[in-house]
Amino acid sequence: MSNLLRNSLISVVLATTTALPALAEDISWIYCGDKMDPVHEKYIKEWEAANDGWSVKPEVVGWGQCQDKATTLAAAGSPAAMAYVGSRTLKEFALNDLIVEVPMTDEEKAAYYPHIVDTVTFDGTQWGVPVAFSTKALYWNKGLFKEAGLDPEKPPVTWAEEIEFARVIKEKTGKAGYGLPAKTFDNTVHQFLHWVYTNNGQVIDAGGKITLDSPDVLAALTAYKDITPYSVEGATAYEQNEIRAIFLDGQVGMIQASVGAAFLLADTKVDWGVTDLPLGPSARGKGTLLITDSLAVFKGSGVEDKTIEFAKFITSPKVQEEYEAGGAAGLTPLRPSPAVDAMLAAAPYWKPFVDGIEFGGPEPLFTDYKGFQNVMIEMVQSVVTGTAEPQAALTKAAAALEEYK
Amino acid sequence: MTSSRSAWIFAWALLAPAILYVLVIVAWPLVETFRLSFTDASLRKVTNYVGTANYEKIFNETFFGVILRTFTWTFFSVALKMIIGTFGAVLLNAAVPGRYLFRILTMPPWIVPMAIGIFMWGWMYNGQFGMISGLLQRFGLTDGPVAFLAYGETAYWATIVTDVWIGVPMVTIYFLAAIQSIPKDLYEAAWADGASRWTRFRRITLPLMLPAMITMSMLSLIATFNSFDIIWILTQGGPSGSTTTMIIDTYHTAIGSKKYGEGAARAVVICIFLSLFCLAYFRVTRRLQTIGGKE
Repeated sequence: MSNLLRNSLISVVLATTTALPALAEDISWIYCGDKMDPVHEKYIKEWEAANDGWSVKPEVVGWGQCQDKATTLAAAGSPAAMAYVGSRTLKEFALNDLIVEVPMTDEEKAAYYPHIVDTVTFDGTQWGVPVAFSTKALYWNKGLFKEAGLDPEKPPVTWAEEIEFARVIKEKTGKAGYGLPAKTFDNTVHQFLHWVYTNNGQVIDAGGKITLDSPDVLAALTAYKDITPYSVEGATAYEQNEIRAIFLDGQVGMIQASVGAAFLLADTKVDWGVTDLPLGPSARGKGTLLITDSLAVFKGSGVEDKTIEFAKFITSPKVQEEYEAGGAAGLTPLRPSPAVDAMLAAAPYWKPFVDGIEFGGPEPLFTDYKGFQNVMIEMVQSVVTGTAEPQAALTKAAAALEEYK
Repeated sequence: MTSSRSAWIFAWALLAPAILYVLVIVAWPLVETFRLSFTDASLRKVTNYVGTANYEKIFNETFFGVILRTFTWTFFSVALKMIIGTFGAVLLNAAVPGRYLFRILTMPPWIVPMAIGIFMWGWMYNGQFGMISGLLQRFGLTDGPVAFLAYGETAYWATIVTDVWIGVPMVTIYFLAAIQSIPKDLYEAAWADGASRWTRFRRITLPLMLPAMITMSMLSLIATFNSFDIIWILTQGGPSGSTTTMIIDTYHTAIGSKKYGEGAARAVVICIFLSLFCLAYFRVTRRLQTIGGKE
């Protein structure tokens, strides 16, 4: 009996002492998308080879559930070591003590395009490593411009021109002049923020004061109201990619979209051009919303330091350049480099996506981003459907945002 | 005594898995949700008890609007399912050639995975590429594309239509079974007395189908009140909250905004309504059994 007890104890000790380090050397990674990017697969192997005993365990989760899965695991106290998240959620995670800081050196910060580091910065430090970047530009259908009697080589430069061109297209061709997405969906907010950032507007300032109810944002919301009659009928039924599908079908004159649309347009008969987002009356220069996704390192995994090391490796300039140029087509480059210069020279349609960065702005950081998003969607939809006037909708939204800042 | 004790132990041993199942899968989550509804649980690691604050917070004008919308949405959906299901069952019961084929053809909405069916309806409602908008334009009934999910009123009815489409087959088959259980001699006697088809339906079919109709209405009421997938996939509760029912509102609060305590309070309110429906269902079925002479 005593032998049995002794052997059992030895087994338990052996099992725990041999199994635990093996578990501790796994870096679990919630990876958003349909499949692993081959570039990431390749560099994971390289990192594992250079870090003996360490293994990266990615779990591919569809975009729709990815964020919720990472959040739920963290809230339940069993976090993944690292997750691919929208940078907009970093403040919420940080304030709730779910993620660790990932400070950057000055050299690291300087390597990025302007404002990108701001999208992951809160309380003076960085809380994630940028891994994907998206900016938008204006696509126009040259065929529809010509059919409407407009110069197909002259896209709108200002909001006033954009609204006027949309009107002319609608009246002369019967087709929608502009594609305005206003569905109950996150990119309804993104699209509106492009208008805000091309008019020197702001939702919340660095001190946490809500600045939504301002003349600059009011001008953006009023422009939305003005362009709605010439937009795709039933804006609240469509999100950004559904509007893009209508553009690819040649049924709309202008849309705001990422560079991914250029790749899709190559397979269509649409004669198109892409240019900077038109500017509002208060614009200081070319602007766009700067959206980044980041790698967040969760607290409590037991492998935080090594995970930070891996996160920085997998987003390092060499890996990132390959990722952006290859499997991740559609992403705006995170850092300027000779390779990016070569890409801009070879494919000039990239230019407006990079030029807008200078006066671009980040997704606002709120303690409850979904709360912020719902308020903004309600504001946009109320104006687009004509149930509220821009000023009234703006004032109501600004007051509601106080709860979520 | 020993024998009765061992029988008692044997009985409990047989019941134990079911009891364990109910405790773990049903009772514990319910109790936990109830407990959570009195806390400020969120992403924060510290959770405090806040008394009835969550309930005080949610009972405002907006939430009452959501409750009212949930009830009207459920009412119209259940009513349409019952009406269409009744007439569908009568038609499928008719002695016409190929009726077995027709019975099979009623099933696809129920057989097709729900999400696929809903996405299909989403495309049909699409203003630019959708079949319905296309047909309306082709027949000159509208001047241009109609995006059914773009406006509060049309989105509200579009979600109901989809829910009815999915729910009707089950109702129809259930009612068909009820009709087929009605003794044939009743119809023969009525026919011999010169009763018209309509009179036979009104005086024989409907009254004898009533127990099945009441039972199915109650079951459908419970399922429809809790319907999430259809609204979520088609509109996510929009535009401007026009299709936000209680279950969607709860999801937005608990999972979207991560206000788990407040979301739990909303879930408890749903639970109370559903418990009342279940209670009504059991009372009605008991009463029907009594009328039917089964007790």
